[in-house]
Amino acid sequence: MFRFLHSHYHAFVQGLIRIKANWIGSVMMFLVIGITLSLPATGFLLIQNASQISNKIQYEAEISIFLSKDIPSEQINFIRSALEKNTLIKKIHFEPKLDAWEKLQAQLKLSSIEDGVSKNPLPDAFFISLNTLETKKITTFIADLKTIEGIEEIVIDGGWVKKLRSILYLVKIGIVILGCLLLTVLIVVISNTIRLQTLTYQNEIEVSRLIGATNAFIQRPFKYTGLLYGFGGGVITLGIIKIILASFNLVAHRVENLMGGNITLKAFSLEQSILIIVIAMIVGWIASYIAAKQAIHKLEKNY
Amino acid sequence: MIKFSNVYKRYPGEMDALQDISLEISSGELIFVTGPSGAGKSTLLKLISAVEKPTSGTIIFENQNLNYLQKNEMPFLRRKFGMIFQDHKLLFDRTCYDNVALPLAINEIDPSDIGRRVRAALNKVGLLTKERVMPMSLSGGEQQRLAIARAIVSRPSILIADEPTANLDRGYADEIMNIFYSFQQVGVTVIISSHEIPKTTIHYKEFHLITGNLQNVPLLT
Repeated sequence: MFRFLHSHYHAFVQGLIRIKANWIGSVMMFLVIGITLSLPATGFLLIQNASQISNKIQYEAEISIFLSKDIPSEQINFIRSALEKNTLIKKIHFEPKLDAWEKLQAQLKLSSIEDGVSKNPLPDAFFISLNTLETKKITTFIADLKTIEGIEEIVIDGGWVKKLRSILYLVKIGIVILGCLLLTVLIVVISNTIRLQTLTYQNEIEVSRLIGATNAFIQRPFKYTGLLYGFGGGVITLGIIKIILASFNLVAHRVENLMGGNITLKAFSLEQSILIIVIAMIVGWIASYIAAKQAIHKLEKNY
Repeated sequence: MIKFSNVYKRYPGEMDALQDISLEISSGELIFVTGPSGAGKSTLLKLISAVEKPTSGTIIFENQNLNYLQKNEMPFLRRKFGMIFQDHKLLFDRTCYDNVALPLAINEIDPSDIGRRVRAALNKVGLLTKERVMPMSLSGGEQQRLAIARAIVSRPSILIADEPTANLDRGYADEIMNIFYSFQQVGVTVIISSHEIPKTTIHYKEFHLITGNLQNVPLLT
């Protein structure tokens, strides 16, 4: 085990030496990875902040439950008690059809006779506010309501927040697709750089093969180089995001002073920052694996 | 130890580099593979060391048929050989020490043993004082000795040298050959390709090749 770890340590040092030997190229590679990754990462950060803002919006899911016109009062009481027992419901307001009819007449300044309406056309109704915004829970709740006898129609109000979230979700998917494309580009770019490195170290690869090195041994320093490229690029990404955030928040602070309100973009959490570096390292590893494997495959044809 | 039976080797688009080669090498022997340029000496050494596979025929090494050797088993077989190449194949971006340490890293030798073994190998070829020197600054003879140090550091049972004295003057060449003889004396099988047999009092076996054909097998002195 110690020998195996020493072998990895040896490869890691070789990776560092290779990065140092071509430090200008390495810095360029860090910047390429850093800038490329910062595009989707910034997008995610904006979406994350926008989602947090949309969650803070004071909004209650309101549902109107219209009952059948000929519903007996016992059934109304039954529905009321069922609603009162439900933990999802925050507020219940019952509007008897007579009250509703009077209100409507008052609002429209009409009398039933003048308007030619002899009968009250409005049903009894419950207006309830829920203490959740979760679509799944609301959908299940409505499905349960529909099974109760005497309930004619259910109307959900306040869909605009839902629409906003749907838009944010779509944008998030867009950023994921963009991110995947950019990661693919990064794999190609890093892979090409490592491929050029394999040409530089072709003599070493060849000698190593001739004296009994396994493919894994030959690939190892290249993989560590790729991992280090990824690490450097990931750190640059976090640096770029930090600069973007600082600049934005500086401007936002001035706007706040003029107009009031609170516009501050929050940075990535520690876990998210580590995730960005890990993703960059994985990309570097995949790219170097592909390049080193190709180089060895070419040599295998010769030997 | 090594047995060739009707071995042919043909490179794509070329004539047979080796034709119907049958030979046997026993443990601890000193072997010279001789012949003019293009006779197939290097090809024979590559087949012996499993760097290349024969087009047809059978090669048995330590009771193992190399034809059935899997690709992933090749590196482990090659570790049994100490290879010295005509062009040295040294790594010029690494010190003498690092060049010699490479096979030990490949063999995953205990790190605490590496320094001692590298210095012992360098000492054996008279380059102990140059462990921190880059190979570029060594003379041709010293580079060849460094290549020998790299070949012997992992204590192989077989040393294979492809024209190790081709580009050296007589003095250096004798020095190099004496190093090989000293290894053969301690039981290592030494296989050397050369245009001609150097003067030696040690018993050896010769495989003489002409245009890929083995002549008068074997010549013993």
